[in-house]
Amino acid sequence: MIESVGASLVYEDHGREVFACRDVSLSVRPGEFLGILGPSGSGKSSLLYLLSGLKTPSFGAVLYDERDLASMSDEERSRLRRREFGFVFQQPYLLGYLTALENAFVGEPTSARRDEALDLLDRLGLGAKAHRQPHELSGGERQRVCVARALLGEPRVIFADEPTASLDHTNGLQVVGMLNAMRGDGALVMVTHDPSMLERADRVVNLVDGQLVRHGE
Amino acid sequence: MLIAWIVALMNSIPYSVKTVYSYSQYSLGVTPRGDPLMTPRLIETFRKECPVPIERLVVCRGSTTVVKSIVGDWPFVVFGLSPVDLQYFLKKHFTSSIDGRVPRPGSAEAIVSEPVARNLNLKMGDVLLGPDKTDAYSPVPVKIVGIAQSPEWMILTDLEYHKENHFPPIDVFLVFARNREEQSKLDHWAVDRFKGEHTRLFAYHELEKDTNQMFATLYQILNVVILTLVAVIALMMGMLMNIYQSQRLVEFGLLQAIGYTRRQLLVRSLKETSIVIATGWVLGVVVAHLMLRVAYKVLMEPKAWGLDTLDPTAFAYTLIVPSSILLVGFFTVFHRFRKFDPVSVVERRLV
Repeated sequence: MIESVGASLVYEDHGREVFACRDVSLSVRPGEFLGILGPSGSGKSSLLYLLSGLKTPSFGAVLYDERDLASMSDEERSRLRRREFGFVFQQPYLLGYLTALENAFVGEPTSARRDEALDLLDRLGLGAKAHRQPHELSGGERQRVCVARALLGEPRVIFADEPTASLDHTNGLQVVGMLNAMRGDGALVMVTHDPSMLERADRVVNLVDGQLVRHGE
Repeated sequence: MLIAWIVALMNSIPYSVKTVYSYSQYSLGVTPRGDPLMTPRLIETFRKECPVPIERLVVCRGSTTVVKSIVGDWPFVVFGLSPVDLQYFLKKHFTSSIDGRVPRPGSAEAIVSEPVARNLNLKMGDVLLGPDKTDAYSPVPVKIVGIAQSPEWMILTDLEYHKENHFPPIDVFLVFARNREEQSKLDHWAVDRFKGEHTRLFAYHELEKDTNQMFATLYQILNVVILTLVAVIALMMGMLMNIYQSQRLVEFGLLQAIGYTRRQLLVRSLKETSIVIATGWVLGVVVAHLMLRVAYKVLMEPKAWGLDTLDPTAFAYTLIVPSSILLVGFFTVFHRFRKFDPVSVVERRLV
């Protein structure tokens, strides 16, 4: 479904080339839970951005259904992210002027999606708080709203970039458990530095200094 | 709002000129430039050569007094008319009724129209002209005996009184056409016909032309002031919008990351900007109009001064401000989005 072929991401730091990812070849299979494990600064998030089309590789390629993401226009990649992918970021980013429910379906504000979002919030234990503003929710609750936003529309792939970074361990496990349980047939690609969050992963890859060092089933 | 105010108040000056001397739209004033022998000849020429029918030719006398304007005293003519002509003059200038009466033949009496009475704060029995009034001199006191209910500004006295008390002893005359269209033709013809001759004409279109020329320079200065103001406001708004957009980068970054296209965000941002600016403009215009109405009621109306609270020029001038802000806004937003990277937001580099 998604395949990175020798993908590298290079950025410049004071005139020096720095490899955030180096020659990464990796595939994401349909419906799997893929964990990307690595210490801070190892290039996990960069790899996630490459796989999700938020960044284009400096070298190599990332293919989605055998189509090179770099060959797509900005609009096509946006459409792909909107319709086929779901995202949970490190911080529970929510729009302050919208309610939890409105935030959950902000990606596609239609009445059908609203009902779906309400159902998702309910299943995530936030049914009673659906009409609250983000500042009225705890950190864990805000991240659960982000989970609902990512799950909306049953995406084919959910990308989670350290979704537990801003939560305590219990809340973190709860969020990951919910993501895994409610993703249906969609694949889950999760980046973390905490191995305990990947206990239920089908596969875990390790990243050190931007390079894959080990695959584990 | 501020610009509408400045322009409307400035426009009130030429507007007042045209209002105060509006009576001259209905007749052409002719004087023989100090030579009393010219008057009969001029009348003869008018009767023979005028291209439009003359409704009435009124031989009269004229002297000057002053009326008050927001920029000081303006000269105003005091007509001396025969009783019959005086009745015609009042009727021709839309007098609906008279409080009091018209001046008696030979008496030092005057009738003024309601705007003049308001402007000079005159009541029945007050002295309009007198020996101790420098700008409104008459060797004998002239009292107000009537106030004509008419929108036009008029000060009328009796012809006999005028002949006896005012210098120079020269007959002048007013030529009336049947309607304003014919009056305009008559005026234009006369200005052409008597160019270079020993006569002076008072035509409304000449007054309009002179007023517009007089204010042309003032308007040029106004344009520079307004353009400077607009530039400063637009720059300030542009900077404010820049700050506002910066504060919303997290929102835009998040939305772009989850699949909104740059174009969608750009349109969204510009739409919001346009709504804010349009709402601000409409509110500004409404407030400006209301404040102008208050200014008119409190400052202008008691003195019968002219102020157009719906002055289209004033409101047209205000359009420059939102247009410029919108332009600066569009440029700011477009520039912001051109190189915007959502990853910088979700990676917390911009938070």
